[in-house]
Amino acid sequence: MIGHQLALIRRELWEHRAIYVTPAAIAIIVTLGVLAMLMLTSGYAKELDLAIFGAQNIAGESERRVALTMFFVGTSWLFVVALMFLTVFYSLDSLYAERKDKSILFWRSMPATDAETVISKLLTAAIVIPAVTAVGIWITHLVNLIVTSIWVATRGGDAGMLIWGSVSILDNWLAALIIVVASGLWMSPFIAWFLFVSTWAKRMPIMWAFLPPIVLGLLEWIVFRTRYFLTTIGERSDMTPLFHTLSLEQFFEEEQWRHGVENISLLEHMDLVGFVTDPGFWSGLLVCGILTTAAIYVRRFRDDS
Amino acid sequence: MSSLVSARGVSKHFGQVRAVDDVSFDIEKGRILGLIGPNGAGKTTLLKAVLGLTDCDGDLSVLGLNPFRQRKKLMQNICFIADVAVLPRWIKVSQLLDYVEAIHPNFSRSRAEELLQNTNVRAGARVKELSKGMVVQLHLSIIMAIDAKLLVLDEPTLGLDILFRKEFYANLLNDYFDEERTILITTHQVEEIENLLTDIMFINDGKILLDSSMDSLGDQYLELMTSGDQANDASLFGPIATSEMFGKSVMLFDGIPREKLENLGEVRIPAVADLFVAKIKEARQ
Repeated sequence: MIGHQLALIRRELWEHRAIYVTPAAIAIIVTLGVLAMLMLTSGYAKELDLAIFGAQNIAGESERRVALTMFFVGTSWLFVVALMFLTVFYSLDSLYAERKDKSILFWRSMPATDAETVISKLLTAAIVIPAVTAVGIWITHLVNLIVTSIWVATRGGDAGMLIWGSVSILDNWLAALIIVVASGLWMSPFIAWFLFVSTWAKRMPIMWAFLPPIVLGLLEWIVFRTRYFLTTIGERSDMTPLFHTLSLEQFFEEEQWRHGVENISLLEHMDLVGFVTDPGFWSGLLVCGILTTAAIYVRRFRDDS
Repeated sequence: MSSLVSARGVSKHFGQVRAVDDVSFDIEKGRILGLIGPNGAGKTTLLKAVLGLTDCDGDLSVLGLNPFRQRKKLMQNICFIADVAVLPRWIKVSQLLDYVEAIHPNFSRSRAEELLQNTNVRAGARVKELSKGMVVQLHLSIIMAIDAKLLVLDEPTLGLDILFRKEFYANLLNDYFDEERTILITTHQVEEIENLLTDIMFINDGKILLDSSMDSLGDQYLELMTSGDQANDASLFGPIATSEMFGKSVMLFDGIPREKLENLGEVRIPAVADLFVAKIKEARQ
């Protein structure tokens, strides 16, 4: 079972190269951006010809921490946005593409059950893609901290103190990992819905993924004059109990207001217990389970026709 | 002999359309069965039922298993090639071997690599870079490296030129088939596989028109080439098909003893294609 899952997930990574090409592309763009920024901002420095991540006066501890924190958060945000698009398009394509290219008959000629296949795609979307994203974030941070350290060191600065000693890098990395993996689990009902649509739709799965919920929401409004359905979906996509029901954006706004950017600690304010004991977390997993079962059932009847 | 496939009253309906209509048959171990039928006859639907790719009514047992409910177990002992386009185009040859090796307990990678060495298929190539013939060679190499009891081939040589088709069947017979294995094959190019088959089954409108071993075909069906008064005499036996060729009458008989026909002209066992055409026309009348 585990051997099959690993083989099936490896197969997903072969087919959907965007899963690792996209984070790699972001990492390259961010690194080039940081290099450009280092070169541009250093020209303006007066006392020390040093600049990191847009902060010219790195002698000031506060500004340095702000610069580093904003770098961590900003780059992570780019990855999270990419993760969202990757997950949606991957989930919608994963069980549709095999019918489109008629390879489904080959896959079904192998001794892997429909349940194993669909679950491998769910695991890829909910756990593997977030994990790859987290690794992308770590590598990007690491590479850019090294590049900046070299830049600072070559100009006579103490990179150990100025960069590596300013913020807790491990805390940020752990927080990034938890955020992306928790997002995958929190969004699992949406992922399972996309998988179901992917195996059910004869064509245009993207339309079938979004149109029915919109129509359902409109019908609710027309008939009952209420908006519970769309509000529930909207709130689920925006908030997680990981930050006490705040979205990541709201959390940052509040923390900046309270403590200043330099003192924002994602890890410190994360409520992991609240997250896993939240009824929304478990009801989401339940919906995910129901929709995944439906996707497995539908795939049993799918062939190349 | 033991039945590898046993069907009793198997049907598959799509709305009002009866794709497979109450068919019963057995396939024994160590046989090569040709399933022949016109387009839309129900061949592919029947094969899909045998492979567990679709559910059906009636009793269908393959290797003692319910194919739809026990597909995973079944696929450990069954291989199939649906047509040449079925391999995913994005995958590399080496990845394909990795995947099958990880998933299939009866797959021998070394055997597949050995078979591929005799082809132009490179391990680093993607399927989309290969010609149709090479894709079939690749697929066949994988299939032949799987120790399976039943091989199902649905139009396996569709779109291939004659050289590849000949090579395909030669490889199948020489490197794969033995008395422990069974092959179920459908094709439109029936003339090319006629000599390989041990059994034949005709299907039309979801019903089986003929189910016979090739050896006993001549006991039931005979073709007579005759002319003149002898042709008139022969027609009294009620041929199921008559055609004219080079000024002579060619008649196909069902169930007429050879000794009754031998005095009327040249008697031989009909070609499968001719018998097929005659049976289909007979069914449509």
